[in-house]
Amino acid sequence: MASVVMARPAPGALSSDRARSRRIVDRIATIALWSAATTVVALLLLFIAYLFVQGYSSISWHFLTGYPKSAEAGGGVGPQIFNSFYILILTLIFTLPIAVSAGVFLQEYAGPGRFRDLVQFSAESLATVPSIVMGLFGLIVFVQLFHWHFTALGGALTLTLLNLPAMMRVTQESLAGVPSTYREASMGLGATKWQTVLRAILPSAIGPLTTGVVLVSGRIFGETAALIFTAGSSVSYGASAYDFNPFHTAETLAVHLYSTQREALVPDATQIANGSALVLLVMVLVFNVVARVVGRQLTVRLTGKAS
Amino acid sequence: MVEPQESKVPALASKVPALASKMKVVDLNVYYGAFQAIKHASLDVPDRRVMALIGPSGCGKSTFIRALNRMHDLTPGARVTGTVTLDGNDIYAPGIDPVTVRHRIGMVFQRPNPFPKSIFENVVYGPKIHGEGNARRLQEICEKSLRAAALWDEVKDRLNRSALDLSGGQQQRLCIARVLAVEPEVILMDEPASALDPIATSKIEDLIHELKKEYTVIIVTHSMQQAARISDFTTFFLLGDLIEVGTTSDIFTRPADKRTEDYITGRYG
Repeated sequence: MASVVMARPAPGALSSDRARSRRIVDRIATIALWSAATTVVALLLLFIAYLFVQGYSSISWHFLTGYPKSAEAGGGVGPQIFNSFYILILTLIFTLPIAVSAGVFLQEYAGPGRFRDLVQFSAESLATVPSIVMGLFGLIVFVQLFHWHFTALGGALTLTLLNLPAMMRVTQESLAGVPSTYREASMGLGATKWQTVLRAILPSAIGPLTTGVVLVSGRIFGETAALIFTAGSSVSYGASAYDFNPFHTAETLAVHLYSTQREALVPDATQIANGSALVLLVMVLVFNVVARVVGRQLTVRLTGKAS
Repeated sequence: MVEPQESKVPALASKVPALASKMKVVDLNVYYGAFQAIKHASLDVPDRRVMALIGPSGCGKSTFIRALNRMHDLTPGARVTGTVTLDGNDIYAPGIDPVTVRHRIGMVFQRPNPFPKSIFENVVYGPKIHGEGNARRLQEICEKSLRAAALWDEVKDRLNRSALDLSGGQQQRLCIARVLAVEPEVILMDEPASALDPIATSKIEDLIHELKKEYTVIIVTHSMQQAARISDFTTFFLLGDLIEVGTTSDIFTRPADKRTEDYITGRYG
């Protein structure tokens, strides 16, 4: 008999040395993998705990809403928090229509071919540009060429360039998750492509799409390098802390953290930086949580499917 | 002369001359890239009857049925030649709008594919797309279609619940209701019961019996018993060739082609 010889258990045996050693290896692998996963969680918790301990004492209502001081202690970050949200919203207004449309085109309309490859390649190249380089680009174009100086608008446009590829990717991925049977069903009922996208595909993708958009928003919120040279590192002293003029300079919280640590004259720079870091971290964490909750809610509401 | 007829594709019309033809396929070829999945198929489909397409897996019956409402337009790399007429008009002629073709020739797919929306929204999806905006009218359409699909009594109290909460058999009848709501003339069904249990299957089969009073039904099935139960005519495919077409009783009791006989008697497949 020329059959393959395998180490079969001896008749009647329910254990063996070989089986035992394999079980030990299996056990070790499980523990190693579990440890690696746990390390990720532990690092995050340690990091949050550290920032809390460092920054907790700086946080007060006055700190969260007050103006920064230029030379004495006790400055707040109210305008910076406002500017962070303001620039984020401006950025989304520019980014979303372009990124979602381009993503829909690539995923639903463009067949395989040169043009799709070109768009994909451009987006990937754009995504690899370091944010500081994008900031320099913004400096040259919006600040110098357009003579806008440091503005919220220039910052938002720079962030748009920086985040278009990610938003496009998010759109593509959420559309790719829609089963092709929905497309067939819709087209089979005599719907045009556009009707299919609008009524069958986008509603089915809205949950993951929202989650992705909010996650990218968290990154926009924390972006620093691209804003230092475009939105500036000082706040405008208008009538209030909340200056909606997009042509005024607008330092965000992340930039403030950088600039106080680096060049501030105030005696309590370290406390302000620690406080800012804590506020920034909490905001970004809130973004992540909101992304999940809202995405799930929308999925349930628009698709009736509990995911 | 009592010699048996020798013909590659026996014309159905010669056997059943009294029937008006709804769709006519002449010399249809379908290619996926370099692979030819359907070779020179010709077929007459009688109006308001059930035509079953049978054959072993991979014989091209699904490919064939998808050519009948231009679903291959959506498949990259697929190419169709030949003519397919609906009431005498070629659906592949230049200037024909495939969207209108699919409006008149509806399709039910192998796996139930309701949208992740409410039952009501699923049924009125088509009418809404075709411009019906009147809420009362939409409700009428919804009830009529669900009744016609024998689903109304089971879902009338929960039209706003998600279609995905329904059982597989209910979902498939919902998909049929969704097709009926756009009032097509021909309904294509691609193995509509293959993912269902026997009870759900028999409900779908009863429904098909009802549908042929008003619609022309073309159904792909891998079950010969199903073809025998529900269809008036049967077409047999093998390896991309349309081998034989005839009345279902002829095909199952005295097939003209040896290959049909081999398949019917379980020689392969």
